[in-house]
Amino acid sequence: MAFLKLQNVDKYYGKLHAIKGVNLEIENGEFIVFVGPSGCGKSTLLRMIAGLEVINGGELILDGKDITTTPSAQRDLAMVFQSYALYPHMTVEDNMSFALRLAKVDPAEIQEKVEKAAEKLDLTAYLKRTPKMLSGGQRQRVAIGRAIVRSPKVFLFDEPLSNLDAALRGQTRVEIAELHRELGATTVYVTHDQVEAMTLADRVVVLRDGIIEQVGTPLDLYDHPKNRFVSQFIGMPQMNLLPADFLPAVAEGSAEVGIRPEHMKAVGAEGAALSGVVELVESLGNETLIHMKIAGKHQIIVRQYVRTELKIGDTVGVEFDASRVHRFDSEGLAL
Amino acid sequence: MSTTTVKKPVRTGKYTWNGAMITRTVASYGVALLMFFPIFFMILTSFKTELQAIAVPSLWIFEPTLENYTEVQERSDYFSFAWNSVVTSVGSTILGLMIATPAAYSMAFNPTKQTKNILMWMLSTKMMPAVGALIPIYLLCQKLGLLDNVFALIIIFTLMNLPIMVWMLYTNFKEIPSEILEASRMDGATLWEEFRYVLLPLAMGGLASTGLLCLVLSWNEAFWVLNLTSANAGTLASLVASYSSPEGLFWSKLSAVSVLAIAPIVIFGWFSQKQLVQGLTFGAVK
Ligand SMILES: Nc1ncnc2c1ncn2[C@@H]1O[C@H](COP(=O)(O)OP(=O)(O)O)[C@@H](O)[C@H]1O
Ligand SMILES: [Mg+2]
Repeated sequence: MAFLKLQNVDKYYGKLHAIKGVNLEIENGEFIVFVGPSGCGKSTLLRMIAGLEVINGGELILDGKDITTTPSAQRDLAMVFQSYALYPHMTVEDNMSFALRLAKVDPAEIQEKVEKAAEKLDLTAYLKRTPKMLSGGQRQRVAIGRAIVRSPKVFLFDEPLSNLDAALRGQTRVEIAELHRELGATTVYVTHDQVEAMTLADRVVVLRDGIIEQVGTPLDLYDHPKNRFVSQFIGMPQMNLLPADFLPAVAEGSAEVGIRPEHMKAVGAEGAALSGVVELVESLGNETLIHMKIAGKHQIIVRQYVRTELKIGDTVGVEFDASRVHRFDSEGLAL
Repeated sequence: MSTTTVKKPVRTGKYTWNGAMITRTVASYGVALLMFFPIFFMILTSFKTELQAIAVPSLWIFEPTLENYTEVQERSDYFSFAWNSVVTSVGSTILGLMIATPAAYSMAFNPTKQTKNILMWMLSTKMMPAVGALIPIYLLCQKLGLLDNVFALIIIFTLMNLPIMVWMLYTNFKEIPSEILEASRMDGATLWEEFRYVLLPLAMGGLASTGLLCLVLSWNEAFWVLNLTSANAGTLASLVASYSSPEGLFWSKLSAVSVLAIAPIVIFGWFSQKQLVQGLTFGAVK
C-alpha cells in the first residue's frame, strides 16, 4: 500500500477551484517532484499535505492513517519553505532543535542530533549565530537542518532553491540528492524548474490548473509525454510542434506532430522533408541551436552538437528521426 | 562636460551635517520646546504662592515654595486617587491586551474578505464623541450598581482603547511573515507554544508599545472618570478637576495637583519612550 495517498483531494479559494480532485500515491522513500507553471497549484497541494491549507474534499492518508483533518503539528511532517522561515530570534542551534525540544526529547539526544545534522550541513561553526548573521546559502541549510534533525515521516520542500544564485543552486541541488540517498526519507519537492525536477525526482508529477497532467519517471515524461502540455513543459528547448499536414508521411491521422530539437538535423534544402529560413543561431560551444521558421509562421529549433556555418536568412532543409516523432490528436492527447 | 559644485557637508563628530538636516533639527527642537512650554510653566507655577501665580507680567525668578504640595496632600488623599489611577490603567491594559491580541492574531494571519472592513469599523467607533454614549452607559452603570466603581472604569477604559490596540497589534503582527508561524506548526507547536515561543518574542516590541499607549491613554482619561465616579473610584483626573471648581481658581494649587497627577506617567513614559515611539509610528520606523 502507498505510504502517502491523495484521494480525490479538492481545494477551493472562494470560487477558485485551485486543486481539482487530485489522486496520487507515493511510496515510502520515494522522491516526488511537483512541477508546473506558476499558479498551477503546486504550493497549494504541498500545503494541503502539510496541513497548512484546509482540504475541501477527498482524503489524505499517511502510513495507513487518515490525516485529512489532522492539524499540522500532529502530522509528523517537516517542511522547508521558499523563504526558509527560520525563527529570527533563535540561534541556528535553537532553530534546529526547536521541534525536538517541543517534543520533550532528552537534551543529550537533542544535542547529539543537532551536532550530527550541523556537521552534515557544514554548519558546526555557525550554531551560536542567529539567522541574520548567515548568508542565503547557510540559511537554506539551516532550514534543511531543522527538517532533518526530526526524522519526520515525509519531507516537504517548496521551491527551496529559488532564492539562491545559479551556482549555489546547482550545488545545493546535488546536496539535496545526496541527502535523500543517505536518509532514504519520503520527499515531496515543489519546483517550477524542470532541471530540478528531472535531476532529483524518482517520479515527477506535472500539474496544470489544479490537475495532474502526468506522473512518471523523468525519462518517461521526456520520452512519452501523454499530451501536448507535458511535451511542451518538459525539455529545454521545447519540443517542436507542427501541424500534421506539414509531415503527412509520419502524421498517421494526428492533428499535430512533435519532434524534439535533438532529433532534427539541418541539411541542404534540396529534397528535404521540411525546409525553413534561419532566424537565429545560438552557438553555446558544446551545442548549437538553430532557430528557423517553417512556411513563414511555424517556429522550430534544431539542436546539433557540431558547429554550423549557417547564417540568418539562409534557407535550410530539415531531416528528422521518424521513430522519435510524437503525435497528438486535436485535443492535444498523445496518440 | 558639465561642472557641478558639490557642497562638502560639514563633519562634526560621527554625524555628517548638511543644511537640510540643520534646519530640520532646529525646527524639531523649536516645536518640542513650544509643546513643552505649558508643562514647564505649570511646574514653575506649582512652586509659587497664589499671589505670585497671578502676577502680571509673569514672575520668572522667585523664591520657590512647597506649600501648595503640602496643602494638596492635606486637603485630599492623593494616594487613594493615585491608586485608583494605577488600578484602572493597569487593569484596562491587561484586559485590553488579552482581548486585542487574539483578535489581531486572527485578523493578521487568517484574514477574510471582511477583515479590512472590520478594522475600519472598529476605528470608526472612535470617531463618535464619547458624550454620545454617555447617557446609555451612565444608565447601564446605574442599573448594575457600578457607578463610582473601579471595575466599571476598567471595562470602559478597555473598550475605549480596544480599537487602537487591535489596530496597533494588527499592523505589528502583519510584519511577521506567516510562514514563520507555519514553520512552528510543522515543528509540532500547539497554538499556545506557537504564541509563547515564536509570536510573543517576535511581537514583543509591538505588544509593549501597545500596552504602554493604552496605559497612558487610560491614565489621562478624564471624561468617563468625571461622569461616572466621585470619591470612591475617582482617579487623579478627578482630583485635578476638583481643584478647578468650587471656591474659584487657585492657579498654583491647581498646578501642583496637576504636576502630581502627571508625574508618574511622565516618568514612566520617559523610561519607555523608545517603545512608545516605535508603536506610534506603526512600524514605519525600523
Ligand atoms: N491564500 C490564497 N487565497 C486565494 N487564492 C490563492 C491563495 N493561495 C493560492 N491561491 C491561488 O491558487 C492558485 C494556485 O496557487 P499556488 O499553489 O500558489 O501555485 P504555484 O505554487 O503552483 O505557483 C493560484 O491561482 C493562486 O492565485
Ligand atoms: Mg508556489
